[in-house]
Amino acid sequence: MSATRVRDAERPSGTALRLLAHDVVRASVGEETSYADGLLTVGTRQATECFAHPALAAVRVSCASPGDSTRIIKVLDAVEPRCKGGEPAADGPPGTGVFPGLLGPAQPCGRGETHRLSGAAVLSAGFLPRAQEAVLQMSGEGAELSPLSATHNVVVEFEPAPDAPWEEVAEALRVGVLRLAVHLAQAAVTAPPDSVEELELPSTGSAGLPRVVAVTNIQTQGAFKDVLVYGRTMSGSLPTWIDPCELADGAVVSAQYGHPALKNPTFVHQNNPVVAALRASEDVELAGVVLCPEPVSEREKRLVSEHAARLCAALGVDGAIVTKEGGGNADGDVALKLDALEDLGILAVGLFAEMAGRDGTAPGLVVAPSRANALISTGNYDEVVRLEATDNALGGERLGIVDAAATDELDIPVAAIYGSLNPLGWNRLTCAAEL
Amino acid sequence: MLLCNLVSIAIRVGAPRIVPTHGIPFPTGDPELTPEEERRLRRRLLDRALEALGTAVDGPTVFDPAETTADADAAVDTPGSPESAASEVPSP
Amino acid sequence: MRIVHYVNQFFAGVGGEEAAGVAPAVREGAVGPGRALAAQLGSEHEIVATVYCGDDYAASRSSATEEVLELVRGFEPDLLVAGPAFTSGRYGLACARLAAAAAREGIRSVAAMHPDNPGLDEAEPAPVIESGRIGREMRQSIERLAGAIKTLARGEELHEGDGRIGRAPRRNRISETNGATRSVELLLARMAGDRERTEVPLPSFASVTPSAPLEDAASARIALLTEGALVPMGNPDRLESARATRWLRYQLDGLDELEEGAYQSVHGGFSTVAANADPHRLLPLDVARDLEREGRIGTLHHEYLVTAGNGTQVATARSFGVEWAAELRQAGVQAAILTAT
Repeated sequence: MSATRVRDAERPSGTALRLLAHDVVRASVGEETSYADGLLTVGTRQATECFAHPALAAVRVSCASPGDSTRIIKVLDAVEPRCKGGEPAADGPPGTGVFPGLLGPAQPCGRGETHRLSGAAVLSAGFLPRAQEAVLQMSGEGAELSPLSATHNVVVEFEPAPDAPWEEVAEALRVGVLRLAVHLAQAAVTAPPDSVEELELPSTGSAGLPRVVAVTNIQTQGAFKDVLVYGRTMSGSLPTWIDPCELADGAVVSAQYGHPALKNPTFVHQNNPVVAALRASEDVELAGVVLCPEPVSEREKRLVSEHAARLCAALGVDGAIVTKEGGGNADGDVALKLDALEDLGILAVGLFAEMAGRDGTAPGLVVAPSRANALISTGNYDEVVRLEATDNALGGERLGIVDAAATDELDIPVAAIYGSLNPLGWNRLTCAAEL
Repeated sequence: MLLCNLVSIAIRVGAPRIVPTHGIPFPTGDPELTPEEERRLRRRLLDRALEALGTAVDGPTVFDPAETTADADAAVDTPGSPESAASEVPSP
Repeated sequence: MRIVHYVNQFFAGVGGEEAAGVAPAVREGAVGPGRALAAQLGSEHEIVATVYCGDDYAASRSSATEEVLELVRGFEPDLLVAGPAFTSGRYGLACARLAAAAAREGIRSVAAMHPDNPGLDEAEPAPVIESGRIGREMRQSIERLAGAIKTLARGEELHEGDGRIGRAPRRNRISETNGATRSVELLLARMAGDRERTEVPLPSFASVTPSAPLEDAASARIALLTEGALVPMGNPDRLESARATRWLRYQLDGLDELEEGAYQSVHGGFSTVAANADPHRLLPLDVARDLEREGRIGTLHHEYLVTAGNGTQVATARSFGVEWAAELRQAGVQAAILTAT
């Protein structure tokens, strides 16, 4: 037997992770957390306990569902409720093993069974330093601009403890949201799933289809503007390949609270849209994800980008889809990678939001690629949109970006709408002409 | 025609006749050289520029100053050949 | 609709290059290509007047656009149509600037030119319709322009399908599929061989047509140009160091050399120490005079043109190029050497 055939015979194949989805069709706050027939009840006391921490004086948990006359302001992160199924992890109560490094030890994840509440999200809302005010409209004019107007949102508002350092407040809130996400998913573990997805092991190219990798750039700018991988920062690192199943189990968690329209909340890392689109396509094979930090100096950007391209070449992929997080600064990270990939013979597509000015005539990209030219538009950042007045608001009583009550009718740039121009292609907003 | 250092940009924007220079801050000079050497460099660049101007081109073409047929050291008239070597670069 | 049509001196029937310096003037009704346009438009629309101007006048005088617009205003038109300018840079620039100025003051306008025309980007916010490359393609160009005018008459906006070129304003809409799904489709298209398709058009640099070679340098008038922002010490005319909106000219008559200390570079994009120590590093006057004395060139032009090429908007740089070309041609210059930093 030749060496190659021995390796092939021993290589594991097939399903890596089973994702069991439980649909949520209604959500409300109540005495005890439960899930039955699509109705999610969030137990107030149990939910609040997730946030027991000296840095937080109080939290308030409420629900905002699609169609509610509610606007959520100062939205921070969004997380899809998920927990592990099957046998409990060796060192932790049942359900842990997701969000490794933040909940429980940083051990490899993305295998076995994971339960998710589909159609639901846990949101944190309120003030944090360096956060940019984000607005989410649950119904009426303006709701269609954010994908989270279609989910049942469990909203956590918070009061920092007096004199608590903001970094600790942010961390307590972050961990609390993850705990609540696990707690809610656990309520559905015994229910029969509405659908099951079998996520396969990384492709080996045996199907003969072109292999495509998702190159996901993440923000790494320190406190309140970082994205954690297995609970740690990627600032200063070189790119790494990661199994998409690890993303499904929360290996990447957002600790970045700027850029409402151009951020990737944890929810979007859990449900990486580029990964989903590649999986759904019958014409390509998903070759995994390459995670890259977004440095802030030109020289560092070049180093990371060249390395990412070489890594993709070493993976033997035929194509790459490159995304970012953030504004014009991050355009450079995408542009450099697109050029570096194409120089190595890997066809590449980049996703960009456009900063085309209020009337749409300004040049849209801060840094454009020189040689690569296949770009997807996720919309014009500066276009002004109207949000109709709502009866209720969560996250605060007054807006900061315009001087208005949180429930007032608003004319604001789409840049302030949570998830509207999402750089991972989560949303459907675009400036592309209709074909 | 264009005397510049960032030749790739010149090609990208479609400049038809390009003579490369030693540095961005000194297109027709080089502070690393002695004044006499600099004057000779400047003469070589302009001789090449004239050759480039006299050459038919289809698209962005780089004319290396080292290949000028004019004698930069001589102060007397030296006819330049219109068929001087030019490296043709395909237009982007 | 009542339409005023703008054309250059050639299409107005006034003359060729020798008439490129004529000042703006008016003819009643449709003239030249305007007649073909009127025929295509039918009786519903009328070209009430034709305003024309010499290409050199339009390209080299900053007041030209306003002078032409003043004539246009007098007719209170429903629409101003400029061109088609094909690839003629001076004509295209004039059409673009006129259409843009009119649009900004509320006079609906449309220009027509080839996509490679340097004037294209200056037409915003007015729309531009694609025309052929040369006058021989007039018929198709006029047909397309007429179609676009009828679209405007119906109160509709012009799109790619109407032959609209240049940067159309970007407008948000909600697509059927999300960006991620479309990115996979785009990658598949690219893998199948389509290397042009994109949702975000990149700035493209229109091809530059090389001029014919200089036949006889020994009898030619040659000009020196620079974007190195070389100006008299003190920058008396206040050339900007970045995002320049102007260009200047300075005398070289009677000078064999640029005196050290008499000039400086105000360019904000590089260290000007070397250039300030010896201005010939930006503008090679000394060697140019040698070439003149030796008979290698006929005459060195008596002035040099200068701007600062630092963060210059591409459209601005293009229009400077068109203006410099007009300027130098009018002065009998046959070739120019541009130093760039």
